[in-house]
Amino acid sequence: MSVVVTTGLTRRFGPIIAVDRLSIDLPASGVIGLVGPNGAGKSTLIRMLLGLVRPTDGSATVLGIPVSSPARYASRVGALVESPAFVPALSARANLVSLARLRGLRLDRVDEVLSFVGLTGRDREPAKNFSLGMKQRLGIAAALLPDPELLILDEPTNGLDPAGIVEIRGLLRSLGQAGRTVIVSSHLLAEIEAMCDYVVVVRLGRLVFSGPMSELLARTRAHIDVCAEHDGDTDRLRAALTDAGWVVSAVDAVLRVASDATAAADLNRAAAAAGVTLSRLVVVQDSLEDIFLAMTGQPDGEPAAGRAAAHGEVA
Amino acid sequence: MLAEVRSELVRLRRPRLLAAWFGLMGLFAVMVNMVMFSVVSSGTVLPPGAPGVSFPDAAALAGPDGLAAGLSAASTLFGVITLSFWATLTATDYSSGLVRLLVSAQPHRWRLLAGKVVALASVTAAATVAATIVNVLVAVPAAGAAGVPTSAWGTHPLSTIAAAGVNTFAALLVWGVIGLVLAVLSRSSAVAISVGVGYVLVVESIVKMAAGGNTDWLPGSTLTALARGGTVSLAYASAVGLALLYVTIGLGLAGAVFTRRDVTD
Repeated sequence: MSVVVTTGLTRRFGPIIAVDRLSIDLPASGVIGLVGPNGAGKSTLIRMLLGLVRPTDGSATVLGIPVSSPARYASRVGALVESPAFVPALSARANLVSLARLRGLRLDRVDEVLSFVGLTGRDREPAKNFSLGMKQRLGIAAALLPDPELLILDEPTNGLDPAGIVEIRGLLRSLGQAGRTVIVSSHLLAEIEAMCDYVVVVRLGRLVFSGPMSELLARTRAHIDVCAEHDGDTDRLRAALTDAGWVVSAVDAVLRVASDATAAADLNRAAAAAGVTLSRLVVVQDSLEDIFLAMTGQPDGEPAAGRAAAHGEVA
Repeated sequence: MLAEVRSELVRLRRPRLLAAWFGLMGLFAVMVNMVMFSVVSSGTVLPPGAPGVSFPDAAALAGPDGLAAGLSAASTLFGVITLSFWATLTATDYSSGLVRLLVSAQPHRWRLLAGKVVALASVTAAATVAATIVNVLVAVPAAGAAGVPTSAWGTHPLSTIAAAGVNTFAALLVWGVIGLVLAVLSRSSAVAISVGVGYVLVVESIVKMAAGGNTDWLPGSTLTALARGGTVSLAYASAVGLALLYVTIGLGLAGAVFTRRDVTD
């Protein structure tokens, strides 16, 4: 069963295309990562799934129900959209009670979610006194209130310290393992890699990749960096390796050989046969960042200003 | 809709917010009564058409309705307070991003809006009761100090006060709805308050002076007539009818915008 299905989903804001003919089919259960650079359209997609923003074109269903009828699935979905939003002067508990009342839930559910996110004992304090990390926890607590089948969290680890990130990551994984579906958006690839079973990569509103994390990681490639002991041997080494059939490129004084670890010994022998002593031979495996870069052309998740402007990006 | 009302009431249960709202209403009730009795007894003539506050004459103050005269005299100031709170409490849902949370939890946006209106109306009713009580407590000593006879005030004190309270509340509801509508449209409390108060206190006065003729159907004049239980130029029934019309149009507009507009805040 699919929790979210979109077909040609599009959202324009005037001349700006925030989500561009996006077609995805997300499986039920587990943690699903929605990853892309800032301005890729992640938040707009999430808002459309929650009924906050209407699609310009295309269609989408959440838990099998069209997004045009969000009231039919609202009780089965919990969400944290962008930064957590609360009445600052009210206590954490009062904020949650207000939402529980709105959803028609029993109030002991408030205690359950406060305990779940580790805010019991701090729940009488005004939300305005909370650190960013505590506000994130409160936001997650609010999302968990309806005991949802589908949890949609937009950048849930924003502002958390490393310990908090690990804790929230474990919490979300436990929710996924318990049979819920958790959709987590992030531009932090390490976060997604550590947490998600399935991943959707978007850029400029368009789908770049959708599939199991293992499938994405299988796209990783390796290369071998070699370095001659003496700079004067570099050209001789490069010629020898090229003659032996390897594809070699130079990165400063390092020669990068497109090959995996199995070729390391052969490389070493070829260098020795050419009379070159290697000072360095390192097998380098591509990271998720490298794959992401290859897919999106973004070095750090930030959209290039020129391309973003040309496409007219919206978060 | 009960869930939406109860949820909104939880968010309104803020001691500082309520203290400010009720405190301002009480403060203006005291100030207007003190100034009104003092000005009227001294024979000072206020310039006609001045926006904001208008006082009855000495004879009216000494009549059976004198006990509640402060309420109707202060109704415009109460209205400004009410408009400001309704606008602020609506616009901050947008500025804080709370509207995202509320709409994703309750996608029936009409019910959310209706719940907010009912909850804010409940607090407005309580604030009106508080202002009415303060008015009664202040009017008697203020009249005594100013030398205004109060023997006629005992004729129908409860019904006089109750009627004045109901009329004031009705006028404040319209003021509040104006604030809410402007806040929904602008998503900014500053803009909503500036436009709302600026229109009623300034723009409408200019329009009335420029247009001449009968302009008593305009919102500001309608609300003044409603709070006073009718005026010479606008009967009470007409004021009620016009007020209902303004509320219907306002809530219709706010509802249409709130339900159709994307939540991008």
